[in-house]
Amino acid sequence: MPLTASAYVGNIRDTVTSFWHGMSVTLSQVLRRPITIQYPDRMDLPVQDVLPARYRGFLEVDASICTGCQACERACPISCIQIELEKDPANPKQRVVTQFDIDEAKCMFCGLCVEPCPTGSIQHTREFEATQRSIRNLVFRWADPLAPFPVYKVAKGAPYFPRAPLGSLVLEVIARRRWDAPGMTYLPPVPLQPPPPPPVKPAPAAKPAAPKPAEGAATAPAMPAAPAPKPDEPTS
Amino acid sequence: MSKLVLRRLDRNNEEMLVNFGPQHPSTHGVLNFLVETDGEVMKRAIPDIGYLHRSLEKIGEMVGYPGYMPYTDRIDYLAAMFANEGYAMAVEKLIKVQVPPRALYLRAISCELNRIASHLVSIGTMATDIGAVTPLVYALREREIINDLLEALCGARLTYNYHRIGGVAYDMPEGWRDRVIKYLDRFDSSVQEWDRLITWNEIYKKRLGGVAVISREQAIDYGLSGPNLRGSGIDWDLRRDMPYGAYPDFKFEVPVGRGWAGAVGDCFDRYYVRVLEMEQSSRIVRQALEKMPEGEVQAKVSRKIKPEAGEAQSRIESARGEMAYYLVSDGTERAYRVRARTGSFLAMGIIEDISPGLMVADLVALIASLDVVAPETDR
Amino acid sequence: MPQFSFAFPKPGTKKLLLGASLAGAIGIPVLLASLLVFVIPMIHKPVFDALIREKLGHDPASWAGAQWVYAIGLFLAGIVMFTFAAISGGIFSWYERRVAGRIQSRIGPNRVGVGGFFQWIADAVKLLFKEDLVPAEADSVLFRAAPYFVVAGMTLVFVALPAGQAIVVADLNVGIFYILAVTSLAVVGIILSGWSSNSKWALFGAMRAAAQIISYEVPAGLAILVPVLMAGTLSTQGLIQAQGGWPWEWFFFRNPAAAVAFVILFISQLAEGNRTPFDLAEAESELVAGYLSEYSGFRFALYFLVEWANLWIIGAVTTTLFLGGWQIPGVTAQDWAAVRGTGAFPAWGWWALQFVSLGVFSLKTLLQVNVIIWIRWTLPRIRVDQMMQLCWKYLVPAGFLCMLFTLLWQMVVAWAPLVERVTAVVVFAAFLYVTWRFLKQTRDNVSLIAHERVDLSNW
Repeated sequence: MPLTASAYVGNIRDTVTSFWHGMSVTLSQVLRRPITIQYPDRMDLPVQDVLPARYRGFLEVDASICTGCQACERACPISCIQIELEKDPANPKQRVVTQFDIDEAKCMFCGLCVEPCPTGSIQHTREFEATQRSIRNLVFRWADPLAPFPVYKVAKGAPYFPRAPLGSLVLEVIARRRWDAPGMTYLPPVPLQPPPPPPVKPAPAAKPAAPKPAEGAATAPAMPAAPAPKPDEPTS
Repeated sequence: MSKLVLRRLDRNNEEMLVNFGPQHPSTHGVLNFLVETDGEVMKRAIPDIGYLHRSLEKIGEMVGYPGYMPYTDRIDYLAAMFANEGYAMAVEKLIKVQVPPRALYLRAISCELNRIASHLVSIGTMATDIGAVTPLVYALREREIINDLLEALCGARLTYNYHRIGGVAYDMPEGWRDRVIKYLDRFDSSVQEWDRLITWNEIYKKRLGGVAVISREQAIDYGLSGPNLRGSGIDWDLRRDMPYGAYPDFKFEVPVGRGWAGAVGDCFDRYYVRVLEMEQSSRIVRQALEKMPEGEVQAKVSRKIKPEAGEAQSRIESARGEMAYYLVSDGTERAYRVRARTGSFLAMGIIEDISPGLMVADLVALIASLDVVAPETDR
Repeated sequence: MPQFSFAFPKPGTKKLLLGASLAGAIGIPVLLASLLVFVIPMIHKPVFDALIREKLGHDPASWAGAQWVYAIGLFLAGIVMFTFAAISGGIFSWYERRVAGRIQSRIGPNRVGVGGFFQWIADAVKLLFKEDLVPAEADSVLFRAAPYFVVAGMTLVFVALPAGQAIVVADLNVGIFYILAVTSLAVVGIILSGWSSNSKWALFGAMRAAAQIISYEVPAGLAILVPVLMAGTLSTQGLIQAQGGWPWEWFFFRNPAAAVAFVILFISQLAEGNRTPFDLAEAESELVAGYLSEYSGFRFALYFLVEWANLWIIGAVTTTLFLGGWQIPGVTAQDWAAVRGTGAFPAWGWWALQFVSLGVFSLKTLLQVNVIIWIRWTLPRIRVDQMMQLCWKYLVPAGFLCMLFTLLWQMVVAWAPLVERVTAVVVFAAFLYVTWRFLKQTRDNVSLIAHERVDLSNW
């Protein structure tokens, strides 16, 4: 496509002016402070103090004010909270929480569980540094089945509920385990029972019935052998 | 599908069938293109999507109405506020609840800030695909401050889950308004600097001007929306023409492609429309912060939402085009069908028909100018 | 306290690292400079003979294998030059990453040694340890041979490239022509690597690169003709000796066409070195790595070494041709002869002045290296057909016009030398004014952004 002379000269002129502006902008950047923040060792403050108050980090449950209403479990859209309640054997009128597991690997940090909590027991903290070698170790257990905690009876009209400092409890849970601790190992699955052999027919049909139990027995050991997963080893 | 393509290839002519992706620095996510090319000029580029499909629409049928809100973030994680807002509007139509005006203003502010952030990513990655790496870092630097602002507002930087059915989750924190104004002052001058650095750069204009022109009729036929539609010269913006939320209270312009670097509807037009839209979003946020009404931020909605059987749809102007939600309820707590219509999915459709005759370098420019992102395309 | 899996360094390592980094950053250039200054002028026959006769007391004429001694000397000089090329390539890679970081509002590498100075050593060692992968379907002989063509194309240039008054390995009388010819060897290497990788993307990149490098030889040749016409010789040392130390004695300012030719040569050499805006061959965002896609480990390192060592070559060639080379302002040819003394072996003052001339040359070259790095991180990439258009429609006609203008100019200057003097001073003044305006614009850019100020902290 032939260019006119003015377009030709215009191209050169546009090139020179646009490069002039572009290069001066880039050079001026050298005079400004880079925005890099070198985490974690060259920061002025610990990073948790730099994050805003509403930051949605790991969830923390203050067991002393948990009412066992399971509202957070129902609100969670990804089913990462699992709560089990039982009656206290010593005191049948009191309920205890025997399981309160939050799978932080599954949690999507949406905050929907924090809103329905009546006492503010479950909260998002500003902690996020809990790298674990095995993903199964990211399940935080807030209730001990061997020493379950009693549910809290909400005092009507209380202005607030006393809570441990935000973040302190979750740090204890994180510190309970080394970061490279091996994950939980599971027992191999119980092998499938072979189907019960059909009732043996009387003598004339004995021959076709004979191979069937042998068939059933032959396939039964094959089934658990193939899908049985190996016990979990710490990944190297 | 690739077998079908291979049969049609003319082997004698030394045509190559090349896979452009799915691991590629400039396909904006995991997208794959099957490119039939003879040297540098392409015969055709067939998009191959589905690598980021996460069954989000099916999940809508399993979790309840309030529980689906964080999942809408993931439909387009670069412009998550819009997805939140669209879904919330659709459910509010289903259960016929009125949103308080302060919440509408907060929705508009958070959405427009998110629009700026999304457009920054879009124009930054476009510059990188064309070869200039530095503008991307500048764009991300501006976006970082928006991320910090939205983090102070709702607690997360990318998947906000800020809007709720009936309003928004939180009110503005202390001092947030001043931080936003300070940022907008800085941002307005940064956009001018951006223009000087890369927009009017001669090489950039030559790379994008006149490339992959989409005419008005084509844009409407293929269902393009948002900046892609406006880049082809069609003056249509849902915020002005089918207003929702707090937008009737704001005065803003709608930039339309004018062929600044060649033809109307080329890659440069779609790019520059986004740059101008960022400036308009900044205007809207300033107006909203000035005129913010008092009141509560969330209407009274029960925890378990059980609407009557029926359907509802909402249409909003998202950063990447029109996002529409269509909800069908069968009277239970779980939706019967959640359908999200995204702008990027339809933009993918036009690539195959525009691509004959383009060079490989132009294909990169085309994909970047249409601002397709894999999460919106695949859901 | 969250558990980190690294340990903070012990106190005392900081001082050690600082000392080591300073030793490296200052010691390596000083070492290289000393090698260049003391080894290379020695290999020239008069100085070499004088050294052995006067300082060591032997007579080379009486040896049977005298030729072998000269040959070994030449070989040593070649090794010194290659070491210089390789190490300067490495240091430029570190420097470019730091400058690129600062341009992009971030810090470059700053952990491996103070300021990240040993990053290039770490990268080189890492690449050496990587698996040596030759794709199964690739043509293994060509695949292995290709990088060496590219390295040869880069290294052979250093033979004729001067760095100081007597610091040139071989002052060929066709010096600049030889340099132009030998840089084309890289094309062979690129095409071989693209073809033998047996990968479609690599082939794409190789074809683009071949077209680019071969096309841009033409404007480069035309632009080189301008100083050759002005100096009357192709020899690199001759070209420099035809210029002077002061800026208004450089070819760049003495002839308006030479300034245009400088720009043409600069652009052409960027294109031949595959630097942005001409890095289509290895366009990262399109072809991932183009003709380099299948290379890993040491071979990959060789390509990048060539790219960074090319920076020095581009700077050195334009300095030689247009910016007065190693000429020190105020030191004329008579001063050089006076300092050398009358003996066959030069006096100490001459050696000291060699260091100064090396310093002047390096300064001019490094300034251009900075400009090349700055251009790379500002401009986007050009498309193949636009690159061809630029070459054939803009640079080649401009090159011809410059050459014609220079022919006429030389006739005018021969008739009235004052014209040249006046032009040089006027153009130099204009150049200073333009530079001042540019720097002012740069400083104003900072104030144009609200809440922004000049701040040189955060390294």
